[in-house]
Amino acid sequence: MSQIVLDTLVVMASVLLASSAIIALYRIVRGPSILDRMIATDVVLASIMCGLGGFMALSGRTDLLPVLIVLAMLGFVGSVSVSRYVSKSDSMTPGAEVGSLSDFSSSDWHMPKESADGAEGHSDTETRQQAQSSVGEEWPDDVARGISDVADGPDAITVQEDEEPVTVGLDQGTDPGAVADPSAEPSVDPDADPEAQGEGLGTGPDSGPEDSDDGERTGPETDDDEGGRR
Amino acid sequence: MILDIISAVLILLGGVLSLAAALGLLRFGDLLSRMHASAKPQILGLLMVAVAIAIQYPAWSTVTTLAIVISFQLVTIPVATHMVGRAGYRTKHLRRSMLYRDELAEAVDRAEAREAAWERRKGIGTDHNDG
Repeated sequence: MSQIVLDTLVVMASVLLASSAIIALYRIVRGPSILDRMIATDVVLASIMCGLGGFMALSGRTDLLPVLIVLAMLGFVGSVSVSRYVSKSDSMTPGAEVGSLSDFSSSDWHMPKESADGAEGHSDTETRQQAQSSVGEEWPDDVARGISDVADGPDAITVQEDEEPVTVGLDQGTDPGAVADPSAEPSVDPDADPEAQGEGLGTGPDSGPEDSDDGERTGPETDDDEGGRR
Repeated sequence: MILDIISAVLILLGGVLSLAAALGLLRFGDLLSRMHASAKPQILGLLMVAVAIAIQYPAWSTVTTLAIVISFQLVTIPVATHMVGRAGYRTKHLRRSMLYRDELAEAVDRAEAREAAWERRKGIGTDHNDG
């Protein structure tokens, strides 16, 4: 009896591990960016480690324990090196997320506006624009400002979605780092905007809030190391 | 036999966590949500499997090696996840409409303002020295 229970548990665990590895492989194939692929690789590696540990526990091969250490180190080194050298040029596979999962995941990537989203994007944004205008009329002024002061309130979503025309998205779709013209992008998001322009232009001094604190900071210290301008 | 069943249940829980992470990878919308989902089996699932191994073979060599593995995971997984999230923030792989607060944007603005002030000061200083 207990042998049957044990076999059932082992078979269920192996099926779960195999299915999780297969689903993570699907994310590796489909994932829109290289960081998604890296996370999915970590999940594959974690399920391999769990399977190897289960095999060790059930069959007594405790000489395989250094393999677990090697796998843990492999996952760490891989994800750190990939995320260290990821750049803006290798952005996403174009149109990978369009209609793939749901509207929960296919709508707005902040990064390169995907060029294949154009056709059904229009009707969607128009309806959302109407909804957003009605919402904007019924709020009082200070309440609306309070909502928009929260970094992304419910109306910041719609503002971000409907104020970017698709033509700009097509322009940005080819090169995400070339957002050098601030007039070309119409006021995306109040707190993301100077930072986006700064990273698009590549250098610091002509971006954003320059005359806020001049006097007291003298040293060349930056909280933010060199990663912002790669 | 009871210990066998307990360790099998622990391995099954590791498999359940791994499947949960895989389903999170499949269903979630952006990079940060997927990172949130994928951190589960890397520490907790592996911890359960390690407890299963330690139940089956309670020798000092096995238990200490498992402790090395688990502590290595505990040290390195937050570092790797932090690196991935930082790279994702820099290269704008996240969807800002899903964020309720972006506290890092304020820090980035402050750092850029400080850097701009410093570079302008340096430029003025060299002009002053030249003239």
